[in-house]
Amino acid sequence: MFVTNFMTEPVHTVGPEASLSQVKELFGQRKFRHLPIVDQSGRLIGMLTDRDLRSAYPSGLMDENEKKAYLKRFKEMKVSQIMTETVAKLTPKSTLDDALLLFDRSRVGALPVVDDQQKVVGIFSIRDLLAAYKQLFGLGEKGSALIVVQDDGKPRPLTRLTEALENRNVLFSQLIRDVLSRPDNGLGLIYVRVHTHNLSGVHAALAAAGFYAVTPEAS
Amino acid sequence: MVWDFKLFHITHSRYLLHDTGGADHPETPERLRVIASALAGLNGCCRLLTVEPTPPEKEWLLTVHAAEYLLRFEEVALSGRSYLGHPDNQLCYESFEIAILATGAGLTGIDLLEKEAGSRVFCSVRPPGHHAEKTVALGFCFFNNVAIAARYWQIKYARRRIAIIDFDAHHGNGIQSTFEEDPDVLYVSTHEHPTFSFPGTGYAEEIGTGAGEGTILNIPLLPGAGDAEVKNAFVEQIIPAVEKFRPEALIIAAGFDGHQLDDMSGLLFSTELYGYLGRKIAALGDRLCEGRVISILEGGYHLPSLGASVKEYCRGIMERRK
Repeated sequence: MFVTNFMTEPVHTVGPEASLSQVKELFGQRKFRHLPIVDQSGRLIGMLTDRDLRSAYPSGLMDENEKKAYLKRFKEMKVSQIMTETVAKLTPKSTLDDALLLFDRSRVGALPVVDDQQKVVGIFSIRDLLAAYKQLFGLGEKGSALIVVQDDGKPRPLTRLTEALENRNVLFSQLIRDVLSRPDNGLGLIYVRVHTHNLSGVHAALAAAGFYAVTPEAS
Repeated sequence: MVWDFKLFHITHSRYLLHDTGGADHPETPERLRVIASALAGLNGCCRLLTVEPTPPEKEWLLTVHAAEYLLRFEEVALSGRSYLGHPDNQLCYESFEIAILATGAGLTGIDLLEKEAGSRVFCSVRPPGHHAEKTVALGFCFFNNVAIAARYWQIKYARRRIAIIDFDAHHGNGIQSTFEEDPDVLYVSTHEHPTFSFPGTGYAEEIGTGAGEGTILNIPLLPGAGDAEVKNAFVEQIIPAVEKFRPEALIIAAGFDGHQLDDMSGLLFSTELYGYLGRKIAALGDRLCEGRVISILEGGYHLPSLGASVKEYCRGIMERRK
């Protein structure tokens, strides 16, 4: 569940004195769009995105003379002039959930991961988050199905449900009890992703434990 | 009413010996017994001829599967282990040889169709095949019976353009992965939506890749979907797609686990729907490829409805629509 298992490392960084044309070349060669800016000891001081760079680049609407003058200025500009200094960041102890909430709040596409000394140890993008949850939710490989059952309102529903599956050696990955969005009857839904084709056996095991699958319409 | 043409039912008593371990495993020998006795009830309205398949040469298996996969499967079976890859894929000592014989049913059926135009062929086989991939056993499947039949038709009889229609409740990932880059094979599948259904593939966005782009048509159905949704898919999407493709032969991955009484899926098909599918498919085959249509059993696990559905389907394919 920690971002360190899914982040990109080592990460490419540049110093604040790097020129924008250097950075433009770098974005062109590599496949990333977020660049941490670090001081001489590798400590994070800002972030630069391809969007920042595009905004700084001369507009196609400018007339030729204006464009030339602007381009000359652009080539002399340094990263420190356009980077974002106050950046949201993760640490090696951050969880995927921390990252999700931070992405939601900060509205950026990638977050730097820094250690106690603020040194950049990796970068974690929204795509990395998707890949991480895809893996953790058991979505990566062929051979699974999502079963949705209604909480029966009796004690210890998850214990009974997992016991029913494990007693029959059914491998399962995600198990989610939706406690927030409850339908009118006040009972929530439970989602479990089982990794077997014997869904008949799974349904029988769940029914014996008091759980019945619900269809998307009913849920 | 008696039809004067033949229904070849291709099956073998050795298929019953593929042992899936008992317990609650749904893929049982009993499935073929209920089909055989249900089809016996068709006698009198058509000439039902039961035919044993010829064991195929291994070269035909290698048109779809890797040689090292054959070795691994054989070794696992002969060593007495109880499954290949995942505990779903239960097997016994004889399973390797029986799985080869299962691929033979389609090949024997194709030989018959090429000799006796106008006859109909239904293959009752175990183990099923449409989840099996080049090097992977999955979802009770070991060799991809349908994919191997398609390659056989192409290579032995030069029927280059093959359309495969799969109405099993589950997506035939193995058929798709075999042909997704192949422009000469159309794969069309209706199945329960991949989120809720094994194996989790078959989204509508999967349409084939490279040269095969546009030759995969996936039609996922939400749990609770029934006859109306399937009929609509056939009329609006499947029949036009197959007509446009202009196949020289049709192969049907015939699974009956979408039946409302079959709890292997949340689909709610009636027994009668399979008669409708049989009629539509036979008409399509007669119109586009001179009746070259072969149906090969995939899933279907609720025994009474499996027997009744296969019978209804075969009755459907025997009703010729001029």
